[in-house]
Amino acid sequence: MGIWILLPIFLPVIVGILLLLPTGAGAAAGKDQSPQGDLEGQNSQGDSGSQAHPSNGVQESWRIRFARMTGTFDESPESLSRLHTLTAAALIVSALLALAAAWSGDVSFTWFELMEGIPVYFQIDDVGRLFVTVISLVWVLVCFYSFVYMEHEGKERRFFGFYLIVYGVLVALSFSGNLVTMYLCYELMTLTSMPMVLHSGSRESIMAALKYLFYSMCGAYLGLFAIFFLYQYCDSITFTAGGTLNLALAEGHTGILLAAIMASLIGFGAKAGMFPLHAWLPTAHPVAPAPASAVLSGIIAKAGVLAIIRVVFYIVGADFIRGTWVQTAWMTLALLTVFMGSMLAFREKVFKKRLAYSTVSQVSYILFGLSTLAPTAMEGALLHVVFHAIIKSVLFLTAGIFIFRGNLSRVDQLEGIGKKMPKTLWCFTFASLALVGIPPMSGFISKWYLAQGALEANIGVFGWVGPAVLLVSALLTAGYLLSVVTNGFFPKKKETGGHLTVHAAAAEAGNADSRETDAADAVAARNAGQAITADAQETDPLDGITEAPAGMLIPLAILSALTVLLGIFPNPLIQFVSKIAAAVL
Amino acid sequence: MSPIFLPVVVLFPIFGGALIPVLPFKNRRQMMIYIESIVILNSLMALAVLLNRPEDEFVLLRFTSNLTLSFKLDGLGTVFAGLISALWPLATLYAFEYMKHEEHEKFFFMFYTITFGITMGIALAEDMVTMYCFYEMLTLVTVPLVLHTLTREAVLAGRTYLYYSLGGAAFAFIGVIFILVYGTTPNFVAGGVLDLEKIGSRTNLLLLIYVFCFLGFSMKAAMFPFSGWLPKAGVAPTPVTALLHAVAVVKAGAFATMRITYYSFGTEFLRGTWAQTAVMIPVIFTIVYGCSRALKETHLKRRLAWSTVSNLSYILFGVTLMSPLGLTGALTHMVCHAVIKICSFFCAGAVIVQSGNEYIYQLDGLGKKMPKVFVIFTISGMALMGVPGLPGFISKWTLVKAAIDSTHPLAVVGVAALLISALLTAIYMLTISVRAFCNKNSEVEPGMPPAEKKAAYEEVRDPGWMMLLPLVVFVAAMFVIGLHPQPLLDAFTQIASAIG
Repeated sequence: MGIWILLPIFLPVIVGILLLLPTGAGAAAGKDQSPQGDLEGQNSQGDSGSQAHPSNGVQESWRIRFARMTGTFDESPESLSRLHTLTAAALIVSALLALAAAWSGDVSFTWFELMEGIPVYFQIDDVGRLFVTVISLVWVLVCFYSFVYMEHEGKERRFFGFYLIVYGVLVALSFSGNLVTMYLCYELMTLTSMPMVLHSGSRESIMAALKYLFYSMCGAYLGLFAIFFLYQYCDSITFTAGGTLNLALAEGHTGILLAAIMASLIGFGAKAGMFPLHAWLPTAHPVAPAPASAVLSGIIAKAGVLAIIRVVFYIVGADFIRGTWVQTAWMTLALLTVFMGSMLAFREKVFKKRLAYSTVSQVSYILFGLSTLAPTAMEGALLHVVFHAIIKSVLFLTAGIFIFRGNLSRVDQLEGIGKKMPKTLWCFTFASLALVGIPPMSGFISKWYLAQGALEANIGVFGWVGPAVLLVSALLTAGYLLSVVTNGFFPKKKETGGHLTVHAAAAEAGNADSRETDAADAVAARNAGQAITADAQETDPLDGITEAPAGMLIPLAILSALTVLLGIFPNPLIQFVSKIAAAVL
Repeated sequence: MSPIFLPVVVLFPIFGGALIPVLPFKNRRQMMIYIESIVILNSLMALAVLLNRPEDEFVLLRFTSNLTLSFKLDGLGTVFAGLISALWPLATLYAFEYMKHEEHEKFFFMFYTITFGITMGIALAEDMVTMYCFYEMLTLVTVPLVLHTLTREAVLAGRTYLYYSLGGAAFAFIGVIFILVYGTTPNFVAGGVLDLEKIGSRTNLLLLIYVFCFLGFSMKAAMFPFSGWLPKAGVAPTPVTALLHAVAVVKAGAFATMRITYYSFGTEFLRGTWAQTAVMIPVIFTIVYGCSRALKETHLKRRLAWSTVSNLSYILFGVTLMSPLGLTGALTHMVCHAVIKICSFFCAGAVIVQSGNEYIYQLDGLGKKMPKVFVIFTISGMALMGVPGLPGFISKWTLVKAAIDSTHPLAVVGVAALLISALLTAIYMLTISVRAFCNKNSEVEPGMPPAEKKAAYEEVRDPGWMMLLPLVVFVAAMFVIGLHPQPLLDAFTQIASAIG
C-alpha cells in the first residue's frame, strides 16, 4: 500500500528528466547530413520543425520521435504547446496523487535499507500533509503562470524539466520519515533547484546560483553534523512527535549535543534565510525567472523551516532545548533577522530584491514562532508558513508581470502602474495588506498567534521584545510594500510635456517620410522614427504597457483571493495546526 | 584453494608485462588483446583466490629463518586485492584509447602491467619484510610511468616522486626493523605482534618509532607535509594518475599504515597515547588542507589530485581512530573513494583527450558537447561530496560514526574537518560542472584565431566506447555501493572485528 507514496515523487522526476534529455536533434543532423549539419542542427532545425525530417529516408531514432511527441524537439509553437500540455498533465496528476496520498490517512513505507538501521523511509503525518498541500497548490498555479512568463525567458524545456523534478523532490521531502531520508531530499532539492536560479545563463545568475549552492551546502553540512550526533544519542532517527532523544545516553554529552543542535538550526536556517547564513537569498532569488523566485521564496525557503521543525520537535524534543542557551541564541538570531530583513527591504530599490529581503524577514517570523517552543506561537508559525507561501508567491508573480510587460525591475519605475495594470496591482495590494497583517487578511491571523504565543510563553525578556520587533517589522513591511501600491495608483505629478513633443515629432517624422517615393529612405526614416519612439519609451517606461495576459492573471487572482479568504475563514486551518502543535508540545 | 595461486597472481602480470617490449606484435590490436587478456586473466584468478581463501601461507623465498618473502591472504588483503583486480582491467581498457596518440606505448604498458603484480604483492604480503620489498618495488616501477612524456616537467615530477617515496620508505624501514626486534613474529597478526615484555620501559621509544613509521608510509598516501609530490605527478598520462595516483599507489600507502597500526604495533598499545594524537593532527589538517588547495587549483587534473590528498587523509583518519569501527570506516572509504576518484579522473582524461583543454576555465560550455562525460563527472562530484545514495555518504557516515564513538578529544575536530572538507569538495567539484553546462563557450584557447577556434570547439564530442565503458561501469558501481552498501559494510565489520 505504502509504495503508492513513491508515485507522486517519481512521476514528476521521471517526466522532468525526460524533458531534460538531449533531444537528439543535433545528433540526427550529424548522422543525416555532413558534419557541418551538426553545428547548425540546433539552430536551423529549431526554426522549422517539420523540415527537420530526415530527407534522405534515414529512420528517425526513437529519441527524436520521442522528442517530437513530448514537444521537446525544437522551439516551434506546436512543440511548445505540447511541452506545456505534458508539463501541466504530469504536474496535475502528480499533485493529485500527492494530495490523495497525503489525505488518505497515516501511511508509512520503508523503501529500502540504505545502511543497517538507516532505512529510506517515508511517513505521512500532519506536518507533511500541511506542507505537501501548500506546495502542490502553489506549484500548480505558478506552473500555469510560467507557461506564459517563460516565453520571455526562453529555454523552457530546461525550466519545466527542473520545475517538475523539484516538485517531486519536495513531495519526497515532506513525506520523508527519518533524518537521513530528509537529508537526502534536502540535498537533492538544493542541487535540482539550482538550475532554476541560473536559468538565464548570465554571469550574474551563475554566480548567484553558485552562492546559493554553497550557502545551502554549508547549511546542509551543519545539519549533517547534528544528524551524526543525533543518530548516536537518539533511540531512533524516525520522526516521532515529542522527540526520540535518549536522555540517559546523552547524559554527559549535553554540551556537544546542544552545540550540534545549534549547528543544525543555523544550517537548516540557511535555506530559510536566517542570519548568519542569509546572504545568498537576496542574491539568488531575484536573478531567477519570476516564477522560480516565487517558488524559491514561497516554498523552498520553507523547506528549511520544515527541516528545523523535524529536528527540533520530532527528534530532539522541545524540552531538551527549552531554557538552554540554544533557545536564547535561536530567538535572538530569528528576531535579528526579522528586523534586519525588513530594514534592508525598506532600503532596497530593486523590486525583486526588496521582495527577497522581505522573505528573509518573514520566514524568520516563522522561526521565531518555533523558537519560543510554545504551542500558540507554533500555531502562528505554521499558519505563517501557509500564508507567507501564498502571499510571497503573489508578490513575486506580480513583479514578474511588471518585468514581462515592460521590463520594469526597479521600484521607482512603477509609478503610475496602477493606471495601466489595475488588476495586477490590486492583487499585489491584497497580498501586501495580508503580509503587513491588516485584518481580515490572512497575515493578521498568523501574526496575532505569533505575538500572543510569545507573550504567553515563558521566555523572559523575549516575551515582549519579540512582539515589539514583529510590530516594528510590520510597520516596515507596510513601508516597503504599500509605498509601491500608493505610487502605483497615485503617481506623483510628472512633467509630461517633454514626452508628448517627442512623441509627436516621432510620429510626424514617420508619417511624413513614408509618403516619400524612395522606399529605402522611407524605411530608414521609419527606423529613425522608431528609434525616437524607443527613446521616448525609455523616458516613460509605462508607455504601451497593458494589463497582464489572462494566463498570468488567473493564477495570480486565485492566489490573492486565497490570501483574503484564508484570513476570513481560518478556522479549519487553525484547528489543523493546533492539532500539530498539541502533538509535539 | 591452494596457496600456490598467491604468488601466481603476483608474478603472472610481472612476467607477462615484462614480455611486452620483447614479443613481436604485428600491430597495435594484437598488443592490446595480449595485454587485456593478461590483465583479465589475472583479475579472474585473483578473484577466484579471494573467494576461496587459502588458509596457508606460501613462502616464496627464505632469506633466514624468520626473514622470508611470503604470501598469505587475510581479510584486509582481500579488500585491497579485490579492489585492485576489479579496477585494473577497466583502467587498461581506458588506457588503450587514451594512449593511442602517445609514444613509447610498449614501455608504458610494460610498467603499467607490472605495477598490477606488485600492488597485488603488497596486498598479499604476509609479513613486514615482504610488504616492504614490494613497497619499494612499487616506487621503482611507477617512476617510469610518471616520467613517460619525458618533458622537463615530467622529469622533475618523477624525481620529486622518487625522493619523497624513497625517503618515506626509509623512515618506514626503521619501523620494520623494530617490529622484527620487538615483535613476537614478523608476520601480520590482527591486534598487533609487539612483545610487551621485550619492550619493558621503552614504550616511548616504540611510540616514537610508530610515529616515524606512520609518517613514512603515509608519504605515499600524500599526507601533509609530504603531499607535494602527488599533484606534481599529475603530469603523467591520465590512466596513471587515475589508477595509480588515486588508487593503487596512494592506497598502498594507506594500506601499509593500516597494517602497521592494526596488525603490527596493535591498537591496544597505541590507543590513547601521545602517538595517536601526534599522527591524528597532521591527518586532520591534511583533510582540510588538500581541499583548500584543490579549490585554489585551476588545472583540472591537479585539482583532482589535491582532492585525492584530502580524501586519502579521510582513510588515514579512520586508521588513526584506532578502533575496529575506525578500520571499518577506513576500508569503506578506501573502496568508495577508489571508485569515485578513478571515475572523475577518467572523465577528466576524456575531456583532455577529446578537447585538449587542461584548465578548468577552458571547460566553459563543454558540457553540451560532451554530455555523457560531464553528467558522469557531475555524479562523481556529488558522490565525492557525500550526497546520500552515492558511496561518499556511506563512507563518511561510517567514518563519523567511528569518530563519535571514539573517546579521543580530537575525533570531534575530525568530524568538523570532514564536513568542512565536504563543503569545499562541493565547491571545487560543482563549479566545474556548472561551468561546463552553463557558461557559454567564452574561450577555447586564447591564442587560436576565431574561425579555427570555433571549429575546434564544435568538433568536440563524447569519446569512444573504450573510454565510455569504464565510466559507465564505475557509475553503475557507485549506485550499487551507494544504495546497497550493507554486504560491503558487513564484510568490513567482520574484518575489523578481528582486531578487538
